[in-house]
This record gives sequence, structure tokens and C-alpha cells, in this order.
Amino acid sequence: MPIIEVENLIYRYGNGLSPEKAAIEDISLQIEEGELLAVIGHTGSGKSTLIQHLNGLLKPTSGRVIVDGHDIWESKASVRQARFTVGLCFQYPEYQLFEETVFRDIAFGPKNMGLDDNEIKKRVCRAAEYVGIGTELFEKSPFDLSGGQKRRVAIAGVMAMEPKVLVLDEPTAGLDPIGRDTILKLIKSYRETTGKTVILVSHSMEDVAKLATKVLVLNRSRLAMFGTVEEVFSRGDELTEMGLNVPQVTRIFMLLRQAGLPVSTGIYTVEQGRNELLRLVNGGVRP
Amino acid sequence: MIKDITIGQYYSGNSVIHRMDARMKIVLTLAYIVSIFVCKNFISLGAMALFVIITALLSRVPVKMLLKSLKPVLIIVIFTAVLNIFYTTGGSTLVEWRFIKITSKGVFSAIFMSARIIALIVCSSLLTYTTTPTVLTGALESLLSPLKIFHIKVNTFAMMLTLALRFVPTLIEEIDRIMNAQKARGADLESGGLISRAKALVPILIPLFISSFRRAYDLAFAMECRCYTGGDNRTSMKKMKLAGRDLGALVFYIVMLAAIIVLNHFFKPVI
Repeated sequence: MPIIEVENLIYRYGNGLSPEKAAIEDISLQIEEGELLAVIGHTGSGKSTLIQHLNGLLKPTSGRVIVDGHDIWESKASVRQARFTVGLCFQYPEYQLFEETVFRDIAFGPKNMGLDDNEIKKRVCRAAEYVGIGTELFEKSPFDLSGGQKRRVAIAGVMAMEPKVLVLDEPTAGLDPIGRDTILKLIKSYRETTGKTVILVSHSMEDVAKLATKVLVLNRSRLAMFGTVEEVFSRGDELTEMGLNVPQVTRIFMLLRQAGLPVSTGIYTVEQGRNELLRLVNGGVRP
Repeated sequence: MIKDITIGQYYSGNSVIHRMDARMKIVLTLAYIVSIFVCKNFISLGAMALFVIITALLSRVPVKMLLKSLKPVLIIVIFTAVLNIFYTTGGSTLVEWRFIKITSKGVFSAIFMSARIIALIVCSSLLTYTTTPTVLTGALESLLSPLKIFHIKVNTFAMMLTLALRFVPTLIEEIDRIMNAQKARGADLESGGLISRAKALVPILIPLFISSFRRAYDLAFAMECRCYTGGDNRTSMKKMKLAGRDLGALVFYIVMLAAIIVLNHFFKPVI
């Protein structure tokens, strides 16, 4: 059974005066448990709107969102449950920090779930470990931390609710290369240790290629592509038409193919590129 | 929910009222508010209502928008009406039951007071509907400039006002974002008693204050980088000029005011 099912989701908004605009136009999809789904699309393509439907922050104009077997708009309690089943971490999450200490800020989510102190403590420690925040920082004010640390604390605040699905909206936006690598590594190790589903909204095709198992492409409020990384990136021309990039390696192989060389276009990591080139040079024999 | 609040609610258009000099609009709006309180009977108030209706028609602002501006003050109107019904005595008695006594004069004054408040709100929202906030502060600066002789920094005041207005939509957006982020962490903002609701605001207000201070610093640096020193001799790109239509509006208003004084004199006052 898929962990998240979206059925004919439509979301329109308006102010009552001008005609309504569609932010999501008839999207249906199924997300399997354990997947790392990357959502890509141009600014304003509906990525943020879509993910806000997954935990019930936005109510669909029509259509259904089924999380863990329950329609989330079934009752008031089911909406609240969806908030904890699908942990959503917004863009620039460090701006949501507010508590006096790092520990209490990470504990905010679990506390809202009504857990007892022991369980809260366990969860905070586990979440802090996932994001590499040491216990020596627990009693510090979150506002004394560096930018990258603040972001990791904020992500831990969502992880501490131990959601079945973790949604991260551009977790690397505005970070330096080292900060970015740290975040990407922690996402990878979080998924490897917990085996939980992760949804990642990203603008960096390199990151998507490195991490994702599946890719969802949104274009002008509609679902444009949904498939494995290889499937999506082998349609590089269509992606370019939508104003999206493909990883640099993929671009090189697309050009090589245009130049008449018999290479595959489903290449999306440097590693694969290297092997493909060696195959070509050695005449089909792998080193 | 929070987006329903309208401040600096400009309705774009190109009517006579839109094109009027903002200074004249401010002066006339103030004068109009004063003259509403000069009216003593329904006939003179009717004349004032006519003035505001004509202005509204000329401005081509939809009636729906004007009614929307009345919504937040509805409670005040009802409250005033109720107080007047019960506390004004005189005239013939309509209902009497135990300690409650409603008189004809009470009913009249309730209607009169409500009509006054409604006229006042419609008139002042016409000003904000037809004038952009920047033009409005520019006009205020120009109107207050005589205060310079008392060494009051009118420029600085106008700049503060402009900046404050400029950041209202930004802050509303920010509040929305923070609220969503905290709701995603299970914050419950909608249920509970007064105290628990006030407590639930803490996770919203602290990040909001922090980001506001950050924004203020950034803005101050950006202004200094562009050599802003709060100069008294700043000139503006658009010079305000009184035109024929402004004089026409003034004459129209003076005629209405004269009519009120005459009508007040010839008809019996309500209050």
C-alpha cells in the first residue's frame, strides 16, 4: 500500500473579485514507502502548494489526499494526525526557531503530540544525532548558533516528531557548499538508518541525481513527469523546454549523442559518466 | 484569515477623484468629518450623505468594496445604536417594560448616530481607495511642512510612515509563513481558552520580531549605502499641483457646508 496517495487534486485560489487561479490542476500520484522522491519544477509551478496539501495545511478545492490509508480531511482529528505523520520542513526553517534552548525547540513538535517527558527526551536525542547536533549545544540559545547549525536544529525539530514521511522544502537554499554537503549527507544517512520516506523539493539537479530514487516534475500547475531518475533525466530536451536544467553530466552526454557518438543519455552521475566513457573508449569492455 | 485585513487598500483607477490633489483630498476629508458633526437634523445629514454618494459615484469604486470597508466597524455601529436606543430619553414612549424604556427620540438618535458613523467611514475609505499610500504620505509631508519652523522633522516622519506602510504586506506574508511552519510542528492555534491561545502566539511572535529587526537593520544599511541622511532638501519626482478639479471640489464642499448651516437653522434638530 502506498504511504501517500493523491487523487485528482485540484487547488484554486482567489480573492472573490478576480477569477480564480489554479495552483494545482488535477494531479494524481502514489508515493511508496521508503522512497526518496524529489520534486522539481520552475518557481511558481505548484511545488510548495502540493507539499502543503500532504500534511493538511491547505485544503484541496477538490480531490483527495490519502496518507497512511486515511483521507486526511475525514475529520478534525485526522488533519491533526496528518501533521505528525507527514513532517513538513519549510524553506529557510531557521526562521521558525523561538525557544530559549536548542533542546526545547527540538522538543516543541513532540510536546504538541502529547508525549511524556521520557519519550520526548529520547526523540530529541535521536533527532539531534541524525542532524549532527551534539548534546553540548542542548542548553544553548538557538539564536547563538551559526546559520548551518540553526538550519539543522530546525530540521531536527521536524524529525523529532518521527513522521512516517519527511518533507523538506529546499533544505539547502542559501547555504555555502560545505553547509549544503552536510545537509545532503544527513538526509542520506537519515534515510538509510530509518528507512522512512523522504520528499525533497530541490532546484539542484545534481542533488536530485545523487539522492533521489524517484523524480516528480511539475510544470504550470500540472504533473509533467513522474518516474525514476533515469527515466526523467533521459527526457532532457523536454526538461530544457520547461526551463529546467539537467545535471551537467547528462548535458554532456546529450551533446555527445548529438555529435554522433553511440552513448546512452540516461547518465546522471559522474560515476556513471566515467563508466560510460570507458566503455566507449575500450570498445564496450568494462575496465 | 490574516490576509483579509486591508491597510492601504488602494483601488486603482483613473477617475476625477483619483486624479485630485491628495492634499486637497485629505483637507476635504477632514473638513467633511467635522461637518458631519455639525449636522443637527436628518435633512442636513441627508445633504452630507448626498455629498459622499456623489463622490463615491465619481470615484467609480465598486459598491462592494465600500461595503467591505464597513464590515470591521459594524460592531461599533451596532453598539452605538443600542446605547442610544436605551439611554436617550424624550419624545413619545414606544415600549416600556420594567426598567427598559424606549422612546421615539432614542430611536431617532440611534439611527442618526449610526448614519453619522457610516458616512464617516465611507468618506475616509474613499480617500484610501483613491490614493496610493505613497502619495498619501507625500501629501501629509507637504501639509505638515509648516511645522518645520518648530524644528519638527517632517521629512523623517513621512519617511517612517512610508516605510511602515511598505512593510505591512511583507509582515503579513511573514506571519503566514511562520504560522504554517509552527502548524506543521503541531502547534494548535485555533482551540483552547483565552490564555492557552495567547500562549500559542509566542512561537509566532518571537520569530516575527527577530526577522523584523533583521529586516530593519538590512534596510537601514541599504539606505545608508545609497547616502540617505534624512535630508531636509529632498525633492520629489512628482510635484503636487492644485488643478481646476481641486478648486471645483472645494467650491462644491463649501456650497454643501452652507446648505447644512441653512438647513440646520430651518429644521428642528434631532439631537
